[in-house]
Amino acid sequence: MKPFRFLPLALAVLPLLASAADPMTIKLTLEPDLRNGQRLYAICASCHLPEGWGSTDGAYPQIAGQHRQVLFDQLMRIRSGERDNPAMYPFVQERTLGKGYQPLVDLVSYISRLPMHPRHQKGPWRDHREEYREGETLYQANCAQCHGKLGEGNNEAAIPMLRGQHYPYLIRQVGLIRSGLRKVNPVMTAILGRLDEEQLKKVINYVSWLPVPKDKLAPSLDWRNTDFN
Amino acid sequence: MSKKDTPRFDRRRFLQASAALAAGGAATPAAAAPEARQQPAKPTILGHLSRPADLPKAKGPRVVVVGGGWSGLTLAKYLKRFNPAFDVLLLDRKDQFVSCPISNVWMADQVDLEFLTHSYVDAARNNDYLFLNATAIGLDRDRRMLATTLGLIAYDYLVLAPGIDYDYSRIGVEDPDDAYRLRMHYPAGFNSASEIMAIKHKLQDFGGGTLLLTVPAGNYRCMAAPYERACMAAAIMKKRGIQGKVLLLDMNPDIRIKTDGFKKAFEQYYGDIIQYEPSAEISAVDIENKAVETDFDSYAFDDAVIYPPVRAARIIEEFGLADPASAQFEAAIDPFKYNLLDDERVYVTGDSRSQPFSKSGNTAHSEARYVAEVIAAHAQGKEIPWRSPQTMCFSGVRIDPLESMSIIAFYSYDENEKTFEFDRVHLMEKWNATAGQAGLAWAEGLYRDMFYA
Repeated sequence: MKPFRFLPLALAVLPLLASAADPMTIKLTLEPDLRNGQRLYAICASCHLPEGWGSTDGAYPQIAGQHRQVLFDQLMRIRSGERDNPAMYPFVQERTLGKGYQPLVDLVSYISRLPMHPRHQKGPWRDHREEYREGETLYQANCAQCHGKLGEGNNEAAIPMLRGQHYPYLIRQVGLIRSGLRKVNPVMTAILGRLDEEQLKKVINYVSWLPVPKDKLAPSLDWRNTDFN
Repeated sequence: MSKKDTPRFDRRRFLQASAALAAGGAATPAAAAPEARQQPAKPTILGHLSRPADLPKAKGPRVVVVGGGWSGLTLAKYLKRFNPAFDVLLLDRKDQFVSCPISNVWMADQVDLEFLTHSYVDAARNNDYLFLNATAIGLDRDRRMLATTLGLIAYDYLVLAPGIDYDYSRIGVEDPDDAYRLRMHYPAGFNSASEIMAIKHKLQDFGGGTLLLTVPAGNYRCMAAPYERACMAAAIMKKRGIQGKVLLLDMNPDIRIKTDGFKKAFEQYYGDIIQYEPSAEISAVDIENKAVETDFDSYAFDDAVIYPPVRAARIIEEFGLADPASAQFEAAIDPFKYNLLDDERVYVTGDSRSQPFSKSGNTAHSEARYVAEVIAAHAQGKEIPWRSPQTMCFSGVRIDPLESMSIIAFYSYDENEKTFEFDRVHLMEKWNATAGQAGLAWAEGLYRDMFYA
């Protein structure tokens, strides 16, 4: 494990509805305890594996290297049941991870620092292909404003980094969102509704080829997270 | 062979008569067809069973799922999710679900019975399908008709997820009398809640001496479970202060999975209790004298839990769907899409599948989610890319608190060998209480998925 560095993590916005018209937000700043994050990740690793690289067939997402706020946000949504993931539900409850926000902060800080899969699963069309270029145009017009020109996402706004994610995983998730089986924010749903299946494939293909910065990647496919040995 | 001698002869005749009646003598599965045609129909026996079941009219393409285990429950839910137009029926001959996974640690009082027990009515209500407490007794694929104890049910798609049956003939027990005596007196506990409960009572009442446990050969259900059970049995004996040993006779040359972990656990905690004997090819069981014979030795016992090799549930063979090449009578299906090779409307999943995947809850669950997508796509004239099932299991090693170790593995297809092999196997053999809790969270999550969410 790398030496400790305490990074303040501004917690997701928690609207406390005094009345529907008068939302109030609280911001918490907590310092992550990476050693505790590592301890907690042992629970996750039984499915997500110590590397957090996901599976190239799309059954599991790559979570390594994802923004902390994104991970935090998704864990909170799965904990509350807002994001429907029954199999994961018990794992993210306070009775499993510990009370309060601190354990979540510890955990997401650990995951976000894991080096990423050096050869994640890409889509079928390389950059000389027409499909790639169409995907690029569509992505830059429809997606880049939130997810970033480089697919880098946005930590503060809890917008997922898309680059480095496995192509089949993105295909499946987009399919679930379009058929109403995964609820995401309405803007995202609307944009996905605007594009047809072929267009979406091209967009996702393009996203899957967006380069991940070298320093975020594990040195090789053989790299193993030895924190749990 | 058990195929000839086991006492399902009456049921088989019944099936054939039923199929003959239902199908008007035509189109019974190939293997049974000639005999079926020769036999006169017996309407006096069949009575109302040859009439359509009294069911609500199908509101869309009807998908019938036979077997409410981990595979069937998951399929029923996700078929409806992935295609809300489907009219889904789930059939099981039991009226209540008792989980086989986690039952070993239940025997050692690490969870209560409520943790394992769930309601099919809850599952059906929460996931918008119908549950029928019924047994499938005949199949007419030409007319897409399933005969059940409630009557005939027409289907657009049929999924058979009937699980396993024991095959006592493979430990030299050919006589049905003996096989049934073994089932009653030394039950295996991998196919029945009553067996699991009987084993718990055995462990609680064991007065000392030798407790025999066996590990079958072949692709048996839940590879790690017999070794975990040895740990639990030994832990219970320790806790109760009983003098005695657990004799673990393994038909395999070595511990099949989590080998180093189990070896270490046996040695470290139960060295004076567990006696592990590998390569113990059981050739006979002497029920009178309480002894098990292998090729070289005879082992006496005071009480026993005898786990024979397994085969696909008999219904697969009875419906004429077994792959002739399969030693375990598993279904002849497309290894990627799970449909019968000659029928895109009938699928076989779970532990009756022919692929050499681990026969376990998580494997069946992850596979069923995929197959539900396959069938939903088929109904739309589409195909989806293959995804590997995920085999994951936690094994309890110590109790109070429960300490477990785990493994997760995927599969890949070897084009040259034309077979599947393990891929990305990740072993976590260092047991601890965190993994113990994670194992329970795993089970709770999947119960939640199948029954409540």
